Amino acid sequence: MSNRIEIKVPDIGDFSDVPVIEILVSAGDLVKVEDSLITLESDKATMEVPSPAEGVIRELKVKLDDTVSEGDIVAVLEVSDAAEDGAGSAEEPAAAEPPASKAPPADEPGQAPSEPRAAQEPPAQPETGVAALDPSKVPYASPAIRRFARELGVDLTRVAGSASKGRIVREDVSAFVKSVMSGTADSTVASPGGLRFDFPELLEVDYSRYGEVEKQPLSRIRKLSAGHLHRNWIGIPHVTQHDEADIMDMEAFRKANEDDALAQGFKLTPLVFLIKATVAALKKFPRFNASLDRDGETLVLKKYFNIGVAVDTPDGLVVPVIRNCERKGIMELASELAEISGRARDKKLKPKDIQGGCISISSLGGIGGTGFTPIINAPEVAILGVSRSHMVPVWDGESFHPRLMLPLSLSYDHRVIDGAEAARFTRYLASRLEDLRRLTL
Amino acid sequence: MSNANKKKAAASGDHDYELVVIGSGPGGYTAAFRAADLGLRVALIERFPTLGGVCLNVGCIPSKALLHTGKVIEEAAAMEQHGVSFGEPFIDLDKLRGFKDQVVGKLTGGLAGMAKKRKIEVIQGVAEFKGPNLLSVAGSDSNKKISFAKAVIAVGSQSLELANMPWGDPRLMDSTDALELEEIPDRLLVIGGGIIGLEMACIFEALGSKVTVVELTPQLMPGVDPDLVKPLQRRIGKRYAAVHLDTRVTRVDVDDHALVAHFEGKHSGKENFDRVLVAVGRTPNGAKINAKSAGVNVTSRGYIPTDKQMRTNVPHIVAIGDVVGQPMLAHKATHEGKVAAEVCAGGKSAFDARVIPSVAYTDPEVAWVGVTESEAKKNKLDYGVGKFPWAASGRALGIDRSEGFTKLLFDKSTRRIIGAGITGVNAGDLIAECALAIEMGCEAEDIGLTIHPHPTLSESIAMAAEVFEGTITDLYVPKKKG
Repeated sequence: MSNRIEIKVPDIGDFSDVPVIEILVSAGDLVKVEDSLITLESDKATMEVPSPAEGVIRELKVKLDDTVSEGDIVAVLEVSDAAEDGAGSAEEPAAAEPPASKAPPADEPGQAPSEPRAAQEPPAQPETGVAALDPSKVPYASPAIRRFARELGVDLTRVAGSASKGRIVREDVSAFVKSVMSGTADSTVASPGGLRFDFPELLEVDYSRYGEVEKQPLSRIRKLSAGHLHRNWIGIPHVTQHDEADIMDMEAFRKANEDDALAQGFKLTPLVFLIKATVAALKKFPRFNASLDRDGETLVLKKYFNIGVAVDTPDGLVVPVIRNCERKGIMELASELAEISGRARDKKLKPKDIQGGCISISSLGGIGGTGFTPIINAPEVAILGVSRSHMVPVWDGESFHPRLMLPLSLSYDHRVIDGAEAARFTRYLASRLEDLRRLTL
Repeated sequence: MSNANKKKAAASGDHDYELVVIGSGPGGYTAAFRAADLGLRVALIERFPTLGGVCLNVGCIPSKALLHTGKVIEEAAAMEQHGVSFGEPFIDLDKLRGFKDQVVGKLTGGLAGMAKKRKIEVIQGVAEFKGPNLLSVAGSDSNKKISFAKAVIAVGSQSLELANMPWGDPRLMDSTDALELEEIPDRLLVIGGGIIGLEMACIFEALGSKVTVVELTPQLMPGVDPDLVKPLQRRIGKRYAAVHLDTRVTRVDVDDHALVAHFEGKHSGKENFDRVLVAVGRTPNGAKINAKSAGVNVTSRGYIPTDKQMRTNVPHIVAIGDVVGQPMLAHKATHEGKVAAEVCAGGKSAFDARVIPSVAYTDPEVAWVGVTESEAKKNKLDYGVGKFPWAASGRALGIDRSEGFTKLLFDKSTRRIIGAGITGVNAGDLIAECALAIEMGCEAEDIGLTIHPHPTLSESIAMAAEVFEGTITDLYVPKKKG
């Protein structure tokens, strides 16, 4: 028989259940080593699964919008150097295993339903695989309760079980329905503490009645961001602390070294100094380098210093993360920043590029403005907003001096950080920028 | 069609039937019966003269009737060890076949009666789609067109045929032929060491054939945990003429006095047999009903993909049973049949079973459900095992069959059962408790603290749970370190 291999989803970081957003080959296609087969998207990064060998795609095991995790089979490849037909395929049935032990058949590619169907659900069979039995993933409910929930249209993953160890019983399903009907459970926003979000409904408006309009679908990145931003905005008690840093000396130093950087192929921007100063401030105030555990009762303090940098792209905002900033020098950071922002704009970020951040910096300094209130990038607990530096007369007790001031806006999670601490953090950060020598302390 | 029926049909949108079920196997008749009970006007189309499909006519039921015969023969022979001798059995093949046929007849006749009581129109013939709401049924003497509002495709599967074999020679059999029981061959070759092949081997060996089993893969019943297969392999290894693993039959030639099988692989050469049984799997019948004229997608292998509500890509046509995919098991099909009927009647049912048990009715039986240990390892699950050897079961010793064991798999963090495997007498009956436990989300303690009657083989399930919990007293398990 010819040599068939299964192509599996490679290591894609910590993600699982990643949607397939593009299928680049179909069964029967000839592919070369490293040819891309499918495109996956997790959060804001896309990645392609390459072919490990040259050959013919015999079978695609995934469809558009399927979700996959590491190790899932993407396709069956018949490796070309071992290809042989005729006798081999005639004997194929001999390879058939007994019925009960055979894997569920994969859907053939190119067999998309001829008629569109409202709800595209996966085939029934794979539901009984290993995943259907993972207690951490499936609702803790018996068959009768599952049927009851289905009849009422209740998604059991959203129902909290009241019986021993969280088992969902009939009453829980009824209570859930009741709470939804009476509006005590919001259907989109979890409301711990029993807060009701009793918003008036947004009226449907025919905008074209008032003039010409054009409809434009949101980009994928924008849609994904929308959910995260909305959750963070509603779910985190934000406070924004404003301050200013005198960066006159810093700018002089930066400009003096600008050409040096350009000679190495990248720009030396003020953002790099902000990263350095932020690391120093995080070291001094470890609560800013933390995340609140999901139970809301434990603070996870991080001993590493990974800084997220908001990058504006035509498709929307992405926040790539620069790792281990404490170990990197100014020039190294500048070079890495240029490289990763370039990849962000080219949509070439990998999932791990946007994971593991400790705090984010959003700089609008290149554009303008005097201050803004950035939204925290959860599970981080703070975000530093930077506006445009401007020259102001500063009173030194005797006379005014023209100084270049940089407005800083630090939004923080008030559940984790108090106001005084935030004021100290911001001041400390500003003081590092005001005298870069302090960064070495 | 009576006037009353015509009126009703008109009310349901001018179709002859509100629901047509194609195929009357366990899935098909269940769907038809359930739909009728829900008030639909149903037609059930079957190409053979009797209802029941492969399972009742030429599969599960007749094979189990014969396996019972084999078991009694084996047990009678085993009595010699206990001082009770019956002598060599005399086998009246016609009478035995008669018993089997009578069991089948009772069940299929019962189905026909129940269909009639439910006012289901049973139509004999071969159905083919002629459009999204139209079927033609070619009967023995007539050809009619039937329109329907909704349809259930339950056309099942058939045995896979191997190439290079003298198909047409009565000595070359598939499982259907073998169950006809024309003769008891002196030397029987069974190609395929899966469930069907091994069950048939078991029957013929008990009836007196010298059986050789050949399996392409390195293990009998591929996919099943190797430890579950071992007791069976040990037993048949001693009794059968040979069990060849990692071996392929490249062809079977016809000789005047025998069928000559050519082996290749771990075992090679050629050998003569009086009969050869091919049991290498089954292939779905999806491609035989002109489904595309109704717009229904059929894969190149003949499967019809469905969603969880058993709907094909054409929402008013559903499909169930072997034709929608593995595992090809009657008990899967019947559950799907109920879902299909309820969905066709406007309900919200879906196939939402977490596990489907599998049983090989060999001697000893091998049964498993949920996650196998091999799967658990492969998926790196954080699992624990509770294994209870039947050598410590008084009941197993009493029936002189202590080679079996009961193995339960648990999720370590929640301590809930996620899988089970049992090898031994009646394993197929015992596994049902494990399936229930998995569906209910039972913890090891739930199983261990449930009082099981003593002395039974069912106790082994509670004891396996106790092994996992560390509370077992019927075994001595040294304390784990740490």
